[in-house]
Amino acid sequence: MRLLLVEDDPNLNRSLATQLEQAGYVVDRAADGQEGLYLAREYPVNLAIIDLGLPKLSGVELIKQLRADGKSYPVLVLTARDRWQDKVEVLKLGADDYVVKPFNVEELLARIDALLRRATGWAQSELVCGPIVLDTRTQEVKVKGQKLELTSFEYKLLEYLMLHAGEVLSKTQITESLYEEDFERDSNVIEVFIGRLRRKLDPEDEYKPIETLRGRGYRLAVARGAPPSG
Amino acid sequence: MALVRSLRARVVLWVCVALIVLFAATIVGLDIAFRNTADRDRRELIEAQVLGLIALAEPGPGGELRLPTEAIDPRFEVANSGLYGALYDGNGRALWQSLSLLGRDFPADEVAAAGERRHLMLDVPGFPPIEAELMGVTWEDRPAPYTFAIGVSLEPYNDRQATFRNYLIGWFLGVTLTMLLVVSGLLTFVLRPVHRLERQVREVEAGDRVKLTGSYPSELVGLADNLNMLIDTERRRLVRYRNTLDDLAHSLKTPLAAMHTLLSEQRSQPAEDRSDALNRELERMDQRVSYQLRRARASGATGLGTEPVAVAPLVEDLKQTLDKVYRDKHVACSVTVVPGASFRGDPGDLTEILGNLMDNAYKYCAGRVIVKAVSTRERLVITVGDDGKGIGDEFAAQLFQRGKRADESIPGQGIGLAVVRETVELYRGALSVGKSDLGGAELRVELLRAGVL
Repeated sequence: MRLLLVEDDPNLNRSLATQLEQAGYVVDRAADGQEGLYLAREYPVNLAIIDLGLPKLSGVELIKQLRADGKSYPVLVLTARDRWQDKVEVLKLGADDYVVKPFNVEELLARIDALLRRATGWAQSELVCGPIVLDTRTQEVKVKGQKLELTSFEYKLLEYLMLHAGEVLSKTQITESLYEEDFERDSNVIEVFIGRLRRKLDPEDEYKPIETLRGRGYRLAVARGAPPSG
Repeated sequence: MALVRSLRARVVLWVCVALIVLFAATIVGLDIAFRNTADRDRRELIEAQVLGLIALAEPGPGGELRLPTEAIDPRFEVANSGLYGALYDGNGRALWQSLSLLGRDFPADEVAAAGERRHLMLDVPGFPPIEAELMGVTWEDRPAPYTFAIGVSLEPYNDRQATFRNYLIGWFLGVTLTMLLVVSGLLTFVLRPVHRLERQVREVEAGDRVKLTGSYPSELVGLADNLNMLIDTERRRLVRYRNTLDDLAHSLKTPLAAMHTLLSEQRSQPAEDRSDALNRELERMDQRVSYQLRRARASGATGLGTEPVAVAPLVEDLKQTLDKVYRDKHVACSVTVVPGASFRGDPGDLTEILGNLMDNAYKYCAGRVIVKAVSTRERLVITVGDDGKGIGDEFAAQLFQRGKRADESIPGQGIGLAVVRETVELYRGALSVGKSDLGGAELRVELLRAGVL
């Protein structure tokens, strides 16, 4: 998942980005509103974290611009203003949630997680696609009740596929959401990781969870929700 | 008139203008009436004299008309009496000229035709201005008409007119001056309470006086009361800011001291323990600062200069905000606000009160929240209920403990309610906790409406 972080305090920006990356997100950092708008226009963002008091282009203006550009992904607002009037105004403007400074990083992560799930149509923190169960909070994956050991990148890839279960995801889309750097887009890493995931999720080759659509990309073919048999 | 700053100057100026216009019109009117009367009198006099001469005239021994001087009006006989007369025959030859002409010819050198009455205004050198009448009369068998001439000097009339006019102006000037003196005195009397008010406000400003005192006339009572309210609000606000600063200093310095101590402690302690302790202190600081800032921010406006805030749209905004924030919880929030329910005060304060109450309800409910607002003539009552577990008695008791600061007695979650209680009290309202029909807690806010403050 690719996040856009727009925060003008350099320490907070750096520390927050580090912790978000540790939590498995790809983070684009901007220190002012204009840079934030540029990045939002250049990269496919899944969620934006925007401080309200920004130089050059205020957070409020940035959110307005994003919405005017037709970007519909979730926007999480960071603000020192905790008056209810401000909260009401911010959400009316098009933001989806707010976190009042100073905040707890765990809480911020939980809010981001919830917003991303909601944006892709998931209501709970536990994503269930047939036999595959992924808990976004504990980052645990179980298949048919059996705990699965995944590397951090495998986990990120599976989470991305499950959040978008049923959708066709191109290789570019996947790389852009999971990788920070542009040059890795050309590599075949994704193919390799998809192969590994297939082997881990379905070692017996029973239900073929990940479909390959030639020239178009991949799709998690297992329907959302638990299978009828339980 | 904006240039004239003083009320007294304004009134005096307007009275002056009004009197001058009024009196000028009166003087002109009276003057015209006086002149008209004088003109008519003079005309009548001339008429009477002409007829008198005609009646006296009789044919003399030569057949010519003559006037018996012994029977004539004595004014014709006195030099410069202002009454002049003459009689001409048909050729313009003077048969008689009054002695008052002192041997000069009658100033009009013309004769009238038979039956003609000629009216003249004469201004001839050597004579005062004269109004004259020539009357042509045909006498028995004489072919040419005789002309009877009468002249009356305008001088005495003009003198009388001038005297009258001077008298009028003098009189009116006197009346005007008297009026101005009376008005000025009246103003001094009327404005005395205003000056007292001004003096008292100045004394309050200088700190020599606590509030405006004494009885004020009904027109000023409202102003004086509002000023007192303003002074009182201002004073309470100052006290509140001072207390907040003191509290804030206390709240910040204690954890700071603790952190200093922690940092200088023996390095023997494991880093993780120390980091935990620091985190706790930071959280304490955060909580206290946030509480103090929130309660200091409540404006507690007096109701002066504030428009009534409609409750319904505000509740609707908050409901939408909270629906968004708690969207995973799918809370059913029913809102009943009577039409026209409004609040006199700062809209931010009401948003803060309602925001905190509704946020708590959304947070602790099982799935349903009810918000109701009723307004009566004297108060606005808002209740927020939910179907949660309710508020514990112990917590409620702590919340309503007077004079106890919430950040010392109440854990983090209760700070919102403590802020609500303090904000409500700023408006001299009340917050109470009860049981909701839904089974959970119901918080009830009563706010007095403006004017009742």
